[in-house]
Amino acid sequence: MPSNFGVLGATVARKTVTYIAFFCLLFWVGFPVYYMLITSFMDSPELGVKPPHWIPQEPTIENYREVVIGETGQRGSYGSTTEFSRMMPALLNSTFVSVAVVLSNLLIGGMAAYGFSRFDFRLSRFAYLGILMTRVLPALSLIVPLFIILRKLKLINTLWALIFTYTIFILPLTIWILREYFDTLARDIEEMALIDGATRLQAFRLVVAPLAVPGLIAVGVMSFMEAWSEFFFALTLTNSLTYPPLLMSFRNLAQVNWNALAAATTVGVLPPVIVAFVFQRYLVRGLSEGAVKG
Amino acid sequence: MAAAQARKTSAQERKHWDRKWIPYVLLAPAIITIVVVILSPLVTTIYYSFSNIDLIRDRTTFIGFDNYVELFTSRLFWKAVEINLKFAAIVVVVPTLMGLFFAVLLVEDFVGRSIGRTLLILPWALPWIVIGLLWNWVVHSQFGALNGLLYSLGLIDKYIPFMADENWALVFTAMASAWRQTSFSAILLLAALQTIPEDLYDAAKVDGAGMRARFRFITIAWIRPTLTIVLLYNIVLGFLQFDAVWVMTQGGPGDATMLISVLLYRYSFINFDLGMGAAVSNVLGLITMGVGLIFVRLTYRSQATYS
Repeated sequence: MPSNFGVLGATVARKTVTYIAFFCLLFWVGFPVYYMLITSFMDSPELGVKPPHWIPQEPTIENYREVVIGETGQRGSYGSTTEFSRMMPALLNSTFVSVAVVLSNLLIGGMAAYGFSRFDFRLSRFAYLGILMTRVLPALSLIVPLFIILRKLKLINTLWALIFTYTIFILPLTIWILREYFDTLARDIEEMALIDGATRLQAFRLVVAPLAVPGLIAVGVMSFMEAWSEFFFALTLTNSLTYPPLLMSFRNLAQVNWNALAAATTVGVLPPVIVAFVFQRYLVRGLSEGAVKG
Repeated sequence: MAAAQARKTSAQERKHWDRKWIPYVLLAPAIITIVVVILSPLVTTIYYSFSNIDLIRDRTTFIGFDNYVELFTSRLFWKAVEINLKFAAIVVVVPTLMGLFFAVLLVEDFVGRSIGRTLLILPWALPWIVIGLLWNWVVHSQFGALNGLLYSLGLIDKYIPFMADENWALVFTAMASAWRQTSFSAILLLAALQTIPEDLYDAAKVDGAGMRARFRFITIAWIRPTLTIVLLYNIVLGFLQFDAVWVMTQGGPGDATMLISVLLYRYSFINFDLGMGAAVSNVLGLITMGVGLIFVRLTYRSQATYS
């Protein structure tokens, strides 16, 4: 059975290559993350040893305690104690902003996407293209005029400034993805509901929205991630009220407690990571549809 | 009869509603806010770029193309362009190739595939700031993971201060960006690969196509539209990246990682020369818009070919 033998050989080779590649993936993704994790469970002296300990010898949760209660062990060193006390409020702020952005984005973006999908009227194509073009603009370049507008609205250094801005910057992507969903949803079911005497609103609420749930979840998750991660607007429009700019200001302290910084980083990435893992399926779908079908 | 009548009335009513105000109400919030928050600052930025803005005396003077002339004749700008091109080259090539590699791996059926797919999401889920910090730990001169690894393996005798070296600094800031983009690319490419019908491969095998031929003429051909988009996303990021680089080096050492976006930040927020900052913004915006337009054209063309 020479041919079978050949197949077997090919299978073994294929498996070997597959697992080598799999190891590469684990290492590429896992190595930086693993190193941060072990750093967060070490104390400062252990971080400095050579060669490094790849498994903490005396694991400690002291760093996490410091982050949660808002104090670092190195009292009196260049204000790091007060900086850390801002961590938990910043996480709460980030949560509030992200949830608000998800809701307002789904509402405004959902409405617009439905409008674009169901009604063909003058300018709609132009407006749609315009919305899409905003995706490639450098957000960095809009900050000065935006600051002036928000100052007039008296929103500087409030969470509302961030909710407002993030929602609008995510809108194009939302509209893009949701319109695709609304376009493919069985339009005849909706038509039937309309013929049976439902109003547009009822038709939307009872027929379209339930069918579009996967799209809404995908978009919701993506806007959560964007809102949670955004750094530059939060830095310039507020006094580091949310997590990312605060993390940056920890890093810039004159004496960085790297272990506590690792703990703070770990705590702060849990929400987006958990959300991404839980909604993995929707996320992948939303990502590829948003990116590819536009 | 009555039913038909009712149907007709409701249809008329619907038409009436549709044509009148519903679409405008649906679209108004999105369009108004986008005009206020994105388009009006955009127009302002364009105006600024033709102005000299004196923040102290609060005076804005129109100066025509002076800012652009100054920009295009400055050595700093061309240096930033050169650095940015190198940076973008890494951010395009590494994630696209590695993303394809991981995507091809993860359509394979093996124990651990679902772990791999889940793990792939992780870098994408992290904020850029955190990615900058992670890679800071990787390349740190005193307790960096990479130094530790090389030392443990006996490849180096003493730790290398990577980020003090201009070339290494550029390579590693680009690798940090590539790290997240690899995941993004792999996720998209994996989704595309999963739509390839298995019988295409079977048919090709029957026709005697080897593995390489099948990869080239089926796999790559099938995912080409996705591949194009992945490429262009990576190019756009190569020019728009700021956060991760800012956390890692703030443009240093010297000017080694001074991307165009970093130059923009320096003009606007360190020198407070808003006119020059706006000019850099617009140049950067034109680059990414150009890339975006290519993207729109390519996708339209591929759609045209298929339909």
